Amino acid sequence: MLKTRTIRSGLALAITVALVGTLAACSSGDSSGGDDKSLEVWTRSGPEAAASYQPVFDAFTKKTGIKIDYKPILEFDTQLQARAGQKDLPDVLINDAGSLGNYVSQGFLLPIDKSSIEGSDQIADKTWDENRGTDGKYYGVPWSRQAAVTIIRKDWREKLGLPVPKTWDDLSALGEAFATQDPDGDGVADTYGMVVAGSAQSGYALRWAASYLFQAGGGLLKYNGDGTYKSVVNSPEAATAVEWMRKQFCTPGVVVPGSINLTTADTPFFGQGTAGISLTGPYNISTFEANVGADNVEVIPMPAGPGGGVTSLAEGENIYFGASSKKTDLQKQLAEFLITPEAQELAMKVTTNEAGVVSQPVVRIPVNKTVDVAAVTGDPRWTVAADAYNDSENFPYAIDFLPFRQIAADELNAMLSDCNSDIPAGLKKIDDGFVAELKNQNLSQ
Amino acid sequence: MTTLSNGPAVSVERPRPSTGMAERPPQRRRRFTRRSLIPWLFLVPGLLLGVIFKFGPMIEGIRMSFVKVQPFLGDEFIGLDNYVKVLSDQRFLDALAHTVVLGGGQAIGALILGTGLALLLEGSSRRLWFVRTAVFLPVVTAVAVVGEIWRILLFPTESGFINSILGMVGIQAQGFLSDPNTSLGYVMAVGIWISAPYNMVIILAGLAGIDRALYESAAVDGVTTWQRLRYIVFPALRPALSVVLTLAAIRSLRIFTEVFVLTGGGPAGSTEVWMTRVFSLGFKGNDLGVASAASVLLLVATLVLTVSVRMVSNRKERAR
Repeated sequence: MLKTRTIRSGLALAITVALVGTLAACSSGDSSGGDDKSLEVWTRSGPEAAASYQPVFDAFTKKTGIKIDYKPILEFDTQLQARAGQKDLPDVLINDAGSLGNYVSQGFLLPIDKSSIEGSDQIADKTWDENRGTDGKYYGVPWSRQAAVTIIRKDWREKLGLPVPKTWDDLSALGEAFATQDPDGDGVADTYGMVVAGSAQSGYALRWAASYLFQAGGGLLKYNGDGTYKSVVNSPEAATAVEWMRKQFCTPGVVVPGSINLTTADTPFFGQGTAGISLTGPYNISTFEANVGADNVEVIPMPAGPGGGVTSLAEGENIYFGASSKKTDLQKQLAEFLITPEAQELAMKVTTNEAGVVSQPVVRIPVNKTVDVAAVTGDPRWTVAADAYNDSENFPYAIDFLPFRQIAADELNAMLSDCNSDIPAGLKKIDDGFVAELKNQNLSQ
Repeated sequence: MTTLSNGPAVSVERPRPSTGMAERPPQRRRRFTRRSLIPWLFLVPGLLLGVIFKFGPMIEGIRMSFVKVQPFLGDEFIGLDNYVKVLSDQRFLDALAHTVVLGGGQAIGALILGTGLALLLEGSSRRLWFVRTAVFLPVVTAVAVVGEIWRILLFPTESGFINSILGMVGIQAQGFLSDPNTSLGYVMAVGIWISAPYNMVIILAGLAGIDRALYESAAVDGVTTWQRLRYIVFPALRPALSVVLTLAAIRSLRIFTEVFVLTGGGPAGSTEVWMTRVFSLGFKGNDLGVASAASVLLLVATLVLTVSVRMVSNRKERAR
């Protein structure tokens, strides 16, 4: 009896020790050394975008012998926070240009000496300037830029005998026609006009609305030129834009029903063949082609707003240098390679990798001025996308724009969800929110 | 932080023997021997996991609520600023109101529906067993899946499933989750649909414990169905109901998944609850300090609510 008990307690002890050991092993992170010739690079990508990055990094390794430990990560910011807690950031991060202000405020980034970057003169000064922090220093090397484009189901439009929309009214009419005239010819009213991610979550509503806001002549924040900003959101132009957008939501079928609660992950309607108008980044061209057929995806010049404005929302990705990295020279070499025409062109190609994944180009509009989009892609639709970028406006990258984005998206979502909403009051609310947040970030004059 | 409020749940889910506790002779304090070490050794793995995955994060969360969280630059102590921010934020206060309405409505709705189901489906025939299993399915289905299915059912056009049924009886298409005036109600309905069967099972267990002889003597006395419910069933169900209510009190305040998958807090913030606000502040807005402060407040509120529900039901039981 006693013996059994001794065995039992011995066993319990052994199990406990084993368990503790496993836990300890789990919690100890591995920190990479500083002297090896390798770089840890993170990008915010799913498998399709990763398939586009991989050949670029392979080419870099081949050229320089520097190994790239590449990690495509979808939950980028959550993972980054975890690494920041260990004071061990990746050497190089490639992520939204819009994250610049936020990352700088958290101390994640090393400033960049623009003049020391070989090939920096092949990037437009305007593009470089977007990457200045509020202190005037550069914090990211531009990698890719893009602007929202209007993509249309060409076969549907032609079947209904409608012209390419040139104005907002045309676009609205096309949306209504898609909803009411059965463009897919199946005899069921199951098609809609516009795909909109209208949820306030992560600021989606603003991401969609911003282009129309700009086209009507409205704006969000205006730079005062001295490190401070002014809220310009409460304007008659903005009211016109919101009224038009609300009309789209309130005319049955023009916007896919239920869109007010949806994020981009929940809006696969264009690809599914249930909606025919999408305001989105040009990176979706290849995705849509795969779903609905290459000939059916039409990229049109932006339909003009009431004053003839065609400005759309610009976004982009930057190459950031992690602040805890000691490999400054290697970081610089990678950035210099990534902005060469060779690397930019590689990342613009749609290829299929060994695993059968069709890549989604990660360079949309190249930052390198010497690269010709039309020549590389051989696709006139990308010329339209490049034109859209030439008349575009971005959210300010230098500041932490996240809170502003949320304030605007919350109120936009509220105004669009109710067909009798008080638009001037809603804009006033955004304005108040902006003023308070500018003060909070010490950005008001 | 959501999982933290599981803590009290574990302690209240234990079966509560209503008699016997007081009759046991008072235990003498035993000398510390090697034998008394053994139970603790067996407990170590569980305790260790608890400390690492529950209490550790909980303490860390409380610490974070007092600092401006900057993982890389180092945290900055700011006292109660995060709490002030939470309590003076109109959106948090709105979210609190929605949480209370949703939590309360859902708890009461699920209690009534669960009791109704239990009364209908009590018994031991095979047919009932099958129906009970079918009714219980929402509980074991992933909430994300349930949410997705309900979103399809509640599609806000004439072609949507529920709208097409309404259309047959001449009711015009409803906005359901897209209409800020009705969205909270439909989220509540889905929540009730999910949680009622769970309550049903607890109440069924309570019903099974009722002495059949009571029913028989009642039948001899010629009581009506209502009298039988009023004087036999409901009093006997009191312990089961108190468990159901306690669980509801704990769950209602930290409601998240249903709302997140159904509406994400929209439209116009009409379904935003405490936890969705915490989530968007913490993980979308990167303001972990404020999110932690809000979570700590939630923990305190849950504790207070749980303890008061227990106190009320204990007092009632003692008064019996």
